[in-house]
Amino acid sequence: MFKKILIANRGEIACRVIATARRMGIATVAVYSDADRDARHVELADEAVYLGPAPSRESYLRGDLIIDACRATGAQAVHPGYGFLSENEAFARDVEAAGIVFIGPKAPSIAAMGDKIASKKLAAKANVSTIPGYTDVIANATDAVRIAREVGYPVMIKASAGGGGKGLRVAANDKEAREGFEACRVEAKASFGDDRIFIEKYIEEPRHIEIQLLGDAHGNIVYLWERECSIQRRHQKVVEEAPSPFLDDATRHAMGTQAVALARAVNYQSAGTVEFVVGRDRSFYFLEMNTRLQVEHPVTEMITGLDLVEWMIRVAAGENLPFAQSDIRRDGWAIECRINAENPLRGFLPSIGRLVRYQPPADVPGQVRVDTGVYEGGEISMYYDSMIAKLITHAPTRGEAIIAMQQALNTFVIRGVASNLMFQSALLRHPRFAEGRLTTAFIPEEFPHGFRDEDVPSDDPALLVAVAAAVHRAYRDRAAKIEGQVAGHEIHVGEDYVVLGMGDPVTVHARTVQGGCDVRIGRDDFAIRHDLRFGQILMRGTCNGLPFAMQVERPGLKYRLTHMGTQRDLTVLPARAAVLLALMPHKMAPDRTRILLSPMPGLLTEVAVKVGQDVKIGERLVVIEAMKMQNVLVAERDGTVAELLAKCGESLAVDQPVLRFV
Amino acid sequence: MHDIIRQLNAMRAEAQLGGGEKRIAAQHAKGKLTARERLELLLDEGSFEEWDMFVEHRSHDFGMEKEKIPGDGVVTGYGMINGRLVFVFSQDFTVFGGSLSEAHAEKICKVMDQAMKVGAPVIGLNDSGGARIQDGVASLGGYAEVFQRNVLASGVVPQISLIMGPCAGGAVYSPAMTDFIFMVKDSSYMFVTGPEVVKTVTHEEVTAEELGGALTHTTRSGVADLAFDSDVEALLMLRRFFNYLPLNNRDAPPLRASDDPADRLEMSLDTLVPDNPNKPYDMKELISKTVDDGEFFELQPDYAKNIVIGFGRMEGAPVGIVANQPLVLAGCLDIRSAIKAARFVRFCDAFGIPVLTLVDVPGFMPGTAQEYGGIIKHGAKLLYAYAECTVPKVTVITRKAYGGAYDVMSSKHLRGDVNFAWPSAEIAVMGPKGAVEIIFRNEKNDPAKLAEREREYREKFANPFIAGRRGFIDDVIMPHETRKRICRSLAMLRGKDLKNPWRKHGNIPL
Repeated sequence: MFKKILIANRGEIACRVIATARRMGIATVAVYSDADRDARHVELADEAVYLGPAPSRESYLRGDLIIDACRATGAQAVHPGYGFLSENEAFARDVEAAGIVFIGPKAPSIAAMGDKIASKKLAAKANVSTIPGYTDVIANATDAVRIAREVGYPVMIKASAGGGGKGLRVAANDKEAREGFEACRVEAKASFGDDRIFIEKYIEEPRHIEIQLLGDAHGNIVYLWERECSIQRRHQKVVEEAPSPFLDDATRHAMGTQAVALARAVNYQSAGTVEFVVGRDRSFYFLEMNTRLQVEHPVTEMITGLDLVEWMIRVAAGENLPFAQSDIRRDGWAIECRINAENPLRGFLPSIGRLVRYQPPADVPGQVRVDTGVYEGGEISMYYDSMIAKLITHAPTRGEAIIAMQQALNTFVIRGVASNLMFQSALLRHPRFAEGRLTTAFIPEEFPHGFRDEDVPSDDPALLVAVAAAVHRAYRDRAAKIEGQVAGHEIHVGEDYVVLGMGDPVTVHARTVQGGCDVRIGRDDFAIRHDLRFGQILMRGTCNGLPFAMQVERPGLKYRLTHMGTQRDLTVLPARAAVLLALMPHKMAPDRTRILLSPMPGLLTEVAVKVGQDVKIGERLVVIEAMKMQNVLVAERDGTVAELLAKCGESLAVDQPVLRFV
Repeated sequence: MHDIIRQLNAMRAEAQLGGGEKRIAAQHAKGKLTARERLELLLDEGSFEEWDMFVEHRSHDFGMEKEKIPGDGVVTGYGMINGRLVFVFSQDFTVFGGSLSEAHAEKICKVMDQAMKVGAPVIGLNDSGGARIQDGVASLGGYAEVFQRNVLASGVVPQISLIMGPCAGGAVYSPAMTDFIFMVKDSSYMFVTGPEVVKTVTHEEVTAEELGGALTHTTRSGVADLAFDSDVEALLMLRRFFNYLPLNNRDAPPLRASDDPADRLEMSLDTLVPDNPNKPYDMKELISKTVDDGEFFELQPDYAKNIVIGFGRMEGAPVGIVANQPLVLAGCLDIRSAIKAARFVRFCDAFGIPVLTLVDVPGFMPGTAQEYGGIIKHGAKLLYAYAECTVPKVTVITRKAYGGAYDVMSSKHLRGDVNFAWPSAEIAVMGPKGAVEIIFRNEKNDPAKLAEREREYREKFANPFIAGRRGFIDDVIMPHETRKRICRSLAMLRGKDLKNPWRKHGNIPL
């Protein structure tokens, strides 16, 4: 076994590999760029080697520097993680040529699967099912019908130059194939000036399901079941699970067998993944093979009890896989949510900056696992991908794993940088997700307008109201502890309140008891017991004995509660104050469309317009420099500049007004 | 006897109604509560003790003798906020537009006098059209009587003004002399001369809101400390604010037991200051991670944002916090920030509230605007305030403390009690670049040499050790233990007793 390995990666995956190596008694070497001097993986490793400037091509993609680092530190092997150099055939070859072991497949295997067309041909040769279709140009409608019959209905008729839904038809029979072909051709000619058309099998309600493989240098290959990764946003996986709620044992076995056959065909010796698209009828077709450790490998680890990184290392060191296919366990259900530094309420715009608060849920062996590459006080830089952590839960059943995930998401605190936690919560509690009716179009179908707060109704409004009342009582009780009260005239905290912010005002009665507060709403009693610590965001407790976790903040008079994908600002007032507040006319929120807000913190480096200037849509307004990047803000509509609200050279906060239109 | 009681009840009922139901409805329609409704929200339930309900004006001109409403446009008395005594007056816009008559002024003066006798704060809820013209010079005299009491009470009992309607002309000078001014957005304004006069005299067209609304005074003029969305929010937040203030200058700031551990460590503060000395960071993160329960009651958050002021608690005891804000103008001191912080430091000093100063200041803001504007005198106000201040003073230098600004920001030389520095502190006459350009002027054409000199300077001076060797700082502390070290320092300072030499009063550079 190796004495020391180098991890040619960063972030959570570097930390995760280091953890396994450490457990195996192997010393670790981290590498880092300028942006990662204080990164967690550097902290965790036994040694660290500086590579270069922040951009990846000057640091993490510099294979030569990494090989130098191995030599300098005496690392005997390199684990590439995922991304960066993990599927770079030349790098794998160079590493081995330098006498260092590449912890991954051999270079020829990477090469064979690296080319999409070549890999498909190879797959077909290995009797792996590929999407039937006809990729040559089709001359006329009669040919189209013939080919469609050969492929098998339904088929997809597509313009070669097509895109954006144009020049695309689905046909379920001869008539539709004939009409579709003609229509498609006309459309393609008009839209793209190119009327070449081809036909392939149309996969109905496609799912992304992949098979995890593990092979050694001695010809042993096993498959570690499947993972379903259908929940994707713009081809990026968002939620993954194992097993798939869709597969039956026969399909699972068939897919596994084909995947093993393909791996055998390229003499595969490491962890790898064969990706399939699976249709409504459980027909499955090869997409591609990933010759590396996948981001979502933890769900497989949770259900099989195997540490994939450990086995990659052991296999790379020449060890035999000591288990056969029949030894592979499949226990319970595991789900993974990717936690990204991005703002779902702003079109998933990546978010950078300082992690002012970062408190992931605690690891519970076999149940909750957090793979993270960041820490509280760390910096999310713009140079690398926005995934900062993976949250994995494991339970005997899918339903229990979902509940565990919802709980874990509720307790995950991230502040300072926007995160997709709320979106993940919304996905996990979506009824269609619970039913397991997944397709790769799940997100565009269920969130057609993107993610909006109002799309996510509170699942339990009464709980939020009761918790707000309980928290308010705690604050009022604290206020009553102040010294200097006039003896005999001390404050008596009232018990009748009105909670605003959940539709109509709700009248509540809140009585402090040991460990919490008894809240009565109408005829319903809510016994809230909680561990609120003032100023701490996360609060755990029980409501009538049932546990809950909620995030509580207190901006001004409001309580901001974050729970199950929703965020609500509630105000708790003494009953009399609520009556008086109701006398106040409702103030309209200012019209934000007339004000340009800074979308990020940064330095205002240029103001391209003057007061009174007419601007056209798309015209450059101001430039904000953030993290050395010039961000040009352009006019989103025609208008006239009324007022400049920030000066050149000023540091801007998020949402700070920059200029106002007439 | 029965008649008297019946009469009394009738008079009470009349007083309660103020200007009548119609005017009350009009008041509500404007988004404003009545004088009594406001007091209900401000004070503990049922604690209000009203005085002078039967006072009436004594005007006999212009038919006023026929129009008398008991109370005469202001509700006065005392009550409790979280069980602590406070005197209040609340002007009633429904009665003669809240205008100030001689009798109205006498009512205000009465509660102020009593507040001084017993040592309790005064809160004024202002909603008044101005002087009662029919009262003539008696009304002006009334204002001046109030002004005189404002001045005598200054530094003896805290005075807070909440502007909840018009406050114009001479009337502004009573709030101006109180310690804090809060305003309500869209329904309050303050100015010395109104839009009409402005138009006649200077030909400027401006609305009342633009001229003296809550946003104007909290962002442009700095006259007001906070702006709130509604009467309800303003009054409830004022209750919260009151919890930081002592009752008078002999009373200790109010302790409120806290569960937040004094030795709580915040590891994330170790990465707060970026490696790059030119990169800003948010000083408010240090504040909220240091104070009890993360609660910081900031004042003037939208004015002179290069300095941050406000109250927090440490181990339950109020502290005033003054902090340079590197996010804005690199944390430079300028005219506005110096005035903002100076007045706050003097308030804390007057009322025995310890001052915690967090320093990251590259110096004073250069430029003609500043020099012509009198930065010399205005900057001196902050220096004067710190130097004069005798309450416990704890200072933490997080990064830059350059030049005269270092001296100003509660330095050891200005009787700072405990002065800490983080390892990232740079205490020097100026930044490395500027310094080498002056010291090595003759090498200025050799950038390589200059860069080397800069590195040398940085190594030598851009650290806390030189100041440490001279005892200008008491210790270099790790950022994560900042709360613990401040708590201990403040605990040690609880018995501090320091007096300035007797004098009539100092002569602060006004």
